[in-house]
Amino acid sequence: MSWFILISKISFALCFAFCIYTLFRIISLGKPKDYAKTKGDINSSIKYSYTGGMSPVKKESAYLHLPTYIAGILYHLGTFLSLILFFLNVLGINLTNYLIIPIAVFLIISGICGVSILIKRIFKSELNSLSNVDDYISNVIVNVFQFVTIYYLFYLTPTYFVISAVLFLYLPIGKLKHAIYFFAARFHLGFFYGKRGVWPPQN
Amino acid sequence: MAELTEKNINKGLTILENFKDSKLLTNLNSCVHCGLCAESCVYYLTFKEPYFVPAKKVDLISSIYKRYFTFIGKYVPFLANTKEINDETAKEMVDLFFGACTMCGRCNLHCSIGIDIAYLVRTGRMMLAQMNLIPASIQSTVDSSIKTGNNMGITTEEFVDTIKWLEDELQDEMNDKHARIPLNDSNVNILYTLNPREPKFFPLSISAMAKIFYAAKESWTISTKMYDVTNYGFFTGNVDEATVISKRLYEEVINLDAKELILAECGHGSRAFRWEAPNYLKKEFDFDSNTSVELIAEYIKTGRIKVDKTKLKLRVTLHDPCNLVRNGGILKEQRYILDQVVSEFVEMTPHGIDNYCCGGGGGQLAMSEYNERRMKIGERKAEQIRNTNAKIVVTPCHNCVDQLMQLNSFYKLNVQIKTLAEIVADAIIID
Repeated sequence: MSWFILISKISFALCFAFCIYTLFRIISLGKPKDYAKTKGDINSSIKYSYTGGMSPVKKESAYLHLPTYIAGILYHLGTFLSLILFFLNVLGINLTNYLIIPIAVFLIISGICGVSILIKRIFKSELNSLSNVDDYISNVIVNVFQFVTIYYLFYLTPTYFVISAVLFLYLPIGKLKHAIYFFAARFHLGFFYGKRGVWPPQN
Repeated sequence: MAELTEKNINKGLTILENFKDSKLLTNLNSCVHCGLCAESCVYYLTFKEPYFVPAKKVDLISSIYKRYFTFIGKYVPFLANTKEINDETAKEMVDLFFGACTMCGRCNLHCSIGIDIAYLVRTGRMMLAQMNLIPASIQSTVDSSIKTGNNMGITTEEFVDTIKWLEDELQDEMNDKHARIPLNDSNVNILYTLNPREPKFFPLSISAMAKIFYAAKESWTISTKMYDVTNYGFFTGNVDEATVISKRLYEEVINLDAKELILAECGHGSRAFRWEAPNYLKKEFDFDSNTSVELIAEYIKTGRIKVDKTKLKLRVTLHDPCNLVRNGGILKEQRYILDQVVSEFVEMTPHGIDNYCCGGGGGQLAMSEYNERRMKIGERKAEQIRNTNAKIVVTPCHNCVDQLMQLNSFYKLNVQIKTLAEIVADAIIID
C-alpha cells in the first residue's frame, strides 16, 4: 500500500474514532432532564424538527436567502458525494464511465457553490465580522477536497489522498464537526418545542 | 457592575463546565457562522449592524467555551478567535446578552442548524450572574421580589386595600353584595396570580378577571403572601434567586390546598413557573399550572361564561407574547377567545410563532439603560400594528402591554392596548 493511501486511511480512522467518541459523549450526556409536565408530543416534534421544520418554506434563513440556501445545499451534497467516492476508493470499487461525467459535473457545480460561499464570507460585512480563521480553512479544505475528487475521477494522483487526510485530520478540530452536532441540535430543538406543544405547528 | 476577579471568572466558567445534558455541549459546538439568522432578529433588522446578528451572541459564548475547554482554544486560540474573559469581554457579554437580546427565540426557529440561541444567551446571563455582573437595574427588580414577595415592593396593606376597593367596585357592577375577590381562601379550585403591575398601575385588569371568575361561578382565591407571577430571576440568570421565587409560589399552592394554579397574563411569568420552576425545584408538580388564557378559552367553550361578540365593534388585532406562544405553545386559545368576543379581528403579519417581539421581553423594560434601543426595536412592532388598521391591540402579557403602551405613545399609533381578560370582561353577559 502506498504511503499516501496509508495516511489517508489512518486519518480517516482517527476521524471516525473522533466522530464515534463525540456521538457517544452526546448520547451519554443524554436529553434534558425536564421536570415540567409535557404539553405536546415530543416524538412528533423531533420528527418535525428533522423534516418539516427544515423545509425552506418554513425558515427565513432559507426563503429570504434562496441563492445562498441553494448554494449551501449543493455544496453539502457535493461534500457527501466526495466522501462516498472516497469510501468507494478505499473499498476498491470503481465507478463505471457512465457515472464519472455526471458526477464530475455535479462536483464542479457544488465546488463553485462552495467558492461563492467563501467569496460571500470575505466580502459581506455581517459574515466577515462573524468569521474566524477556522471558517476560512474549513471552507477551503472542503472545496479543495471536492475539486481534487473531480481530478481523481480522471487521473490518479497522490494529492487526492493527501488532501483527504488533511480533511479528516482537520474535521475534529474545527467547525466541520458540526456534521455531528447538527443532528443533536435538531434533536434538542424538537425536544424543546415538542415538550411545550409548539411543534409540530398547530396551524 | 462588580469588579471582575479571578474567582468570579472561575465561577462564571463553571456554567460552561458542568454539562447537565447534551444540550449545552451541542449548542456550543454547532454554529457554522452562516449569519442567516440576522434577518430573524428585531435588533439586526432595526440597526443593520453585524454586531446585532444573533450568531454574534452564539460566537461570544462559544469562543469563551472553546478558549477554556477545548484543544483548539488552549493550543491554537487564533484559529477560532477564542476569547479569554477579561474586562472587555465581560463588557461585551453584558451588552450583548442583556442589552441586545429579548430572548424571544425567533432566531431559534429560523437558524439553519437549529441552535437554541436564546438558551445560549440565557446561559451567558447565568455566567454573568455567577460573576456578579448582572445590571443593577434588573437586579433591583429581583431584590424587591426576594425582599417583599413582589417585584414592585407593594406592601400587603396596600395590596389588600386595592383588592378590597376592587371588590366593592365588582359588587356595584354586578349588583351583588356577595360578589367577592377572595383572599387567602383555602381548599379552592384555583389559586390565581397577578402581575404586580396590575395592583400598582392596572387594577382594571384584576377587576376584569374577577368578573370572569364571578360569571363562571369559580371557586378561586388570591394569596396576599405570594401573588406575584413574575420571576425576574429567570431573566437575570441567577438560578438560586429564581428558585427562591418559584418555591414561594409553589408552597403557596400547597399551603392553600388549591387544585390548580392559574398564571396571570404574563408571558415570562407563566413560562418561568410552568416550564422552568419544576426544573428549578427539581420535581414534577402534583398540581396543574395553566394560563388564564387557557382557562378563559375553556370557560367559553364549555359555556361557563356567555359572551356577546357584537358588543365591540372596533377592529381588534393580537400581539402574540414570545414567552407564551413561541416558547409556551399557547397559540389557538387566544384566537378562539377573540373569535368569540370581538366582531372584527385581524392578524398581524407575521403572527403566531413567527411573530416579532414587541421589544419589551428579556427584562428590557427593567433596564432603563437600554431604553433607547428598546424603543427603536419596537418600531417594527409599531409598523405591524399600523398595517392592521386596528383600533385595539390585545395581548395576554403585562410586559407586552407596558411596551406596547409606550410604543403607542412614541409612534403615535392611536390605538388602545388591552389584556385578553379586559376584552372578555367587556363582552360578558351576566345572567
